[in-house]
Amino acid sequence: MKTIIISIFSFLMLGSSLAFAQKSMDDFQVQVDGLGCPFCAYGLEKKFKEFKGIKGVQIDIETGDFSFQYPSEKSLSLTAVVQQVEKAGYTPMKTVITRANGLVETDAPLAAVDQGVAGVVSKKMFVAGNCEMCEARILKATSRLQGVAAAAWDAKTKMLDISYDAAALDLASISKAIAAAGHDTKDHKASENTYDGLPMCCKYERIEDK
Amino acid sequence: MKYCIKYLYALGIFGCFSVSLFAQGPPITSDKPIMLGGGSFTAKTLIEHRKTAMGTFKYTPIMLHYLISSNALVAIHIPKVSYELADGTSGQSLADVKLLAKYQFLRIDGTGKTFRMVAKTLQTLPTGEALGVMELSSGLYQGYYGFVAGYESLKYGISFELGLNHIPEGDLDFLQHKLGFGLPLLKPQYPNRQINLFFEYTQQWLWEQKGYQLLYAQGIQYARKNITFDLAYQLPMINNMPQNMTFNRSLFLGTRFTF
Repeated sequence: MKTIIISIFSFLMLGSSLAFAQKSMDDFQVQVDGLGCPFCAYGLEKKFKEFKGIKGVQIDIETGDFSFQYPSEKSLSLTAVVQQVEKAGYTPMKTVITRANGLVETDAPLAAVDQGVAGVVSKKMFVAGNCEMCEARILKATSRLQGVAAAAWDAKTKMLDISYDAAALDLASISKAIAAAGHDTKDHKASENTYDGLPMCCKYERIEDK
Repeated sequence: MKYCIKYLYALGIFGCFSVSLFAQGPPITSDKPIMLGGGSFTAKTLIEHRKTAMGTFKYTPIMLHYLISSNALVAIHIPKVSYELADGTSGQSLADVKLLAKYQFLRIDGTGKTFRMVAKTLQTLPTGEALGVMELSSGLYQGYYGFVAGYESLKYGISFELGLNHIPEGDLDFLQHKLGFGLPLLKPQYPNRQINLFFEYTQQWLWEQKGYQLLYAQGIQYARKNITFDLAYQLPMINNMPQNMTFNRSLFLGTRFTF
């Protein structure tokens, strides 16, 4: 009887630890362009194997859908994923990260993201910029902030759609972080030095002082 | 005109095969502009058994390609050649060692398709015997400069190469044009398992020798994950070369492994 109880207890412990292990993985989904053949997919997978601990790599070469899991304690950023796809020689189109705690990060329009996390609010903000490099810089600045769930910036409208945990962050802090990266918002301007350091294609028309 | 008809005929043969096909792997006798991720190596060989008017040659290269980044590649080819000349002479030796560099300067990606262009140079070092066999063993320094363009989709692949081979101390300079079509016989899948057909054309103009040849290679390839096995047979379609340089046929047998 004692042996049976110990066995059941061990089984339950193992089950709960496995469940915990599964929960501690972040899910990544990337839509990749340029996968013209199965060898291309091999090149992509091989490049991502440089991320030690990567699991569950799946690539659909017909749709370009690439997904994998990665330990959440390593906090693999959206920017790092995008850069790794580029290092593999392909074009990342849309990236969605579902963190183990339920937060969603994306560089896609927010309408495509399933929200519903308590305390998360969505706001729009004008951010000056021109090009894809600006977009990458703006999103990188937002992704570094604790509490940002998802962000997307449109180069045509110059509007940033951002979802964040209102208990951890406010719009002013986001605006400041973006200005520090070199992009004017209506409330905060980038410093002259930072603006001067931007590449030529990113030299946007500055917002005049009120 | 006669040559044009032959060329169009060959393209027609290709057209007959180009029905209901899927994705493909790297070409066999022509080159490709796609590079599989920075920091990776490919070890390969493509043994060529060539018969010409001059004799029979077996060319066995060991090739190591390294991708410095997603758009730059360097490689070294160390080949051995064994020969039996028409006059009865035979032997084997190290052939001309080759250094290759490619730089991708254009990439246009779409879902399941890509178009890329690379600049390419192949420097041939005079390490081989002076056998006077084009691209195998000349014992002369040679510099090849060209570009490769390629379109790959999940249905077919096309590769195009144009380049100039310059030999400072010889009279075998030539302009080269390659055109390759790749057609897979299996549905695209990953991890990959493919059987591919290749139809590859090579044209060479040797203006100093007033020579021209158009070669056609029919190839088949088995590919699985990161390894391929290649088999191709090359024949001349147009053969207006100097008497001792006349090409009869080549058989290619190769493998490549990416790691």
